[in-house]
Amino acid sequence: MGRPGRLRVAFVGKGGAGKSAIAGTFARLLAREGHEVLAIDSDPMPGLAFSLGVAQSDAGIPDDAVVERVEGEEGPRFRLRPDLDASAAVEAYANVGPDGVRFLQFGKLTGHVAQLMRSQHAFRQIVEELPDDRWSVVGDLPGGTRQPFFGWADFAEVVLVVAEPTAKSWLSAKRLTRLAREDGTAANLLLVVNKAREAGDARLVAEMTGLTVAAVVPWDEDLAEAERRGRPPIDDAPNSGAVRAVASLVADLTGGT
Amino acid sequence: MRIAVVGKGGSGKTTTSAVVARVLGRRGLSVVALDCDSNPNLGISLGVGDQETERLVAMRQALDEGDEEHAPEWDELIDRFGSDAPDGVRLAVVSRIENPDPGCPCCGLSPEQLLSSADFGDAIVLADLEAGIGTLTRLQDATIDAVLIVVEPTPKSIEVGSRAYGLVRDKAVGRVVVVANRIRNDEDLDRVRQAFPDAEIVAVPDDPAIVAADRSGVAALDRTADAPAVLALIGVAERLLPVAS
Repeated sequence: MGRPGRLRVAFVGKGGAGKSAIAGTFARLLAREGHEVLAIDSDPMPGLAFSLGVAQSDAGIPDDAVVERVEGEEGPRFRLRPDLDASAAVEAYANVGPDGVRFLQFGKLTGHVAQLMRSQHAFRQIVEELPDDRWSVVGDLPGGTRQPFFGWADFAEVVLVVAEPTAKSWLSAKRLTRLAREDGTAANLLLVVNKAREAGDARLVAEMTGLTVAAVVPWDEDLAEAERRGRPPIDDAPNSGAVRAVASLVADLTGGT
Repeated sequence: MRIAVVGKGGSGKTTTSAVVARVLGRRGLSVVALDCDSNPNLGISLGVGDQETERLVAMRQALDEGDEEHAPEWDELIDRFGSDAPDGVRLAVVSRIENPDPGCPCCGLSPEQLLSSADFGDAIVLADLEAGIGTLTRLQDATIDAVLIVVEPTPKSIEVGSRAYGLVRDKAVGRVVVVANRIRNDEDLDRVRQAFPDAEIVAVPDDPAIVAADRSGVAALDRTADAPAVLALIGVAERLLPVAS
């Protein structure tokens, strides 16, 4: 479990469920609570940067930060250069965004597979080796069921499954729940119902997924408008019902630590 | 005739695929709808229901775990891992599985290999691809005849759509149509037009009827066939008809 003042969460869910908007808002609010926040986007497609208000960057982790394993040695094929530990890599390669949130992106899907592999190994190493007593981490995992788990959510103490009150969305959430339980990593799996429009929505999604509801984020025209402008909800719609619901989620998850 | 549908997760690929497949089916064409998403939901939008959709997923999983027999040919793949959807559409889940048997059509062939190598005869193949551009990057040139790029008027969605557009322009794809989804006003449509200045664009209005169909897990075409968004998607199918027939 987390030491006081640090929280590590990962957001998963169907594409378009609202993971990035909620994760970005969550990260900013957590930083305002005094946490040192590292927000990570492990999707090669952009998303989280917009919701955080961090300048979009093509750069993931540069090639020269990564070295290939010497033949005969043990361990993963690529590692960070020996003079870089996880904290140093965050300082060097994460962008600093509003409220002091650090933002690290997996890297865009335009480079060669070999480059992506280097970046991927380094990315996972950074997340795995972050010092326990420092960073709070907010992870925005790719949509769908391919990547989440299989080691990508290992850093998280709490995995938040984002689902809309639609059949496609809760079926995806159910599949993710099954994967998480099979994977055995996500001890604490909670549901965030997003785009709730009617009174019974939260109960419906909870029933369909079998998960405990941690937050109900209402459908919010102001948040949708912020998304269309590519602006962070917390800056453009700070008093919206959606941002207020994420604020209660932050309060609930930090309250116990 | 092979049509691929791409876009960011949640942009409306699956809804678009389903309406187009069924409209082409209604015109008497033989239609195979391939759910190439690793998180397959096409069954819901086609109208076979959530239980049947989950059954197809469970079949794929059983195959992955060695509890289900392999299919020797692609048409048997569709019989065994597929389902009959309304309007004569045959649906199959062909998402990549984790432990493939190399060369086997039902599992060792990825969606992109299947699209490249299988002879679908006279059938129109409608492939609902995984969110993002991964499958598209691996597709060989000239293995598809038309691509529908579904985008919402948000920077995130347009970014994915633009990269898809760049890729399909590089590959020898016959026809590219940008489906501008959830359009509320001229400003929304202008956002899409600016991002795709040379493209053929079809606007699909933001429509509570689609939200309502999604909520109840039924096909939009069955619930409210005359809703503005459904009519616009029928229009997308009709645009493809000259090449399809």
